[in-house]
Amino acid sequence: MGSGRVDDVFDALGDPGRRSLVREIAARGDATATELAAELPVTRQAVAKQLAVLAEAGLLRATRSGRETRYAVTPGPLRDAVAWMVEVGAAWDERLARLRDTAAR
Amino acid sequence: MEVEREVTVPAPPDEVWESLTEAERLEEWFANDVELDPREGGRGVFRWDDGDERRATVRELDPERRLVLDWDEGGAVAIELETVEDGTLVRVVETAPQFAAALELRVAAHAANAWAAVA
Repeated sequence: MGSGRVDDVFDALGDPGRRSLVREIAARGDATATELAAELPVTRQAVAKQLAVLAEAGLLRATRSGRETRYAVTPGPLRDAVAWMVEVGAAWDERLARLRDTAAR
Repeated sequence: MEVEREVTVPAPPDEVWESLTEAERLEEWFANDVELDPREGGRGVFRWDDGDERRATVRELDPERRLVLDWDEGGAVAIELETVEDGTLVRVVETAPQFAAALELRVAAHAANAWAAVA
């Protein structure tokens, strides 16, 4: 279980930017602040700050990886939604690769 | 909640459209066995070799531009084509209504309750 308290969870998810970060991390499996900032019109520092809030609330799990911290969505209540995104995303990656190959013939 | 993916296919939109709407072509990339009546309101049946089967109704069909299928079990998939320099950009958005905004809030509430229980 995460260490987050109720208020932390609601505060953390109350911000649309943080919600979209959770969705993005769920879609990728895991991500670093640098990877996420590369796709967003915000600085790495701003993303890192939001990720810290989400991790503090127990919504993300942080793992050190070299100089960077990788974040993944905490298993548990969000698991079904996350599993759906991961499964459907992977299925479309495979299908679209096949579509590209068949159309190229 | 939705998943969005895109790919550029090195073929013109009319050829890619055939891959999206003709059963034989769909069997090359989407599912192992396909039946599809490609018109608005038309029905589709998609079967995979692992035993999975999904049925759908065509909600929108705008030739060489946009195809939307509503899955019988809920959710939908929209596929849009756009001509680009090196072929056709195919953009897919699959949505899961069971994880729509209101339900995401419920997930958050469940999360909060779960954490409250161990606090």
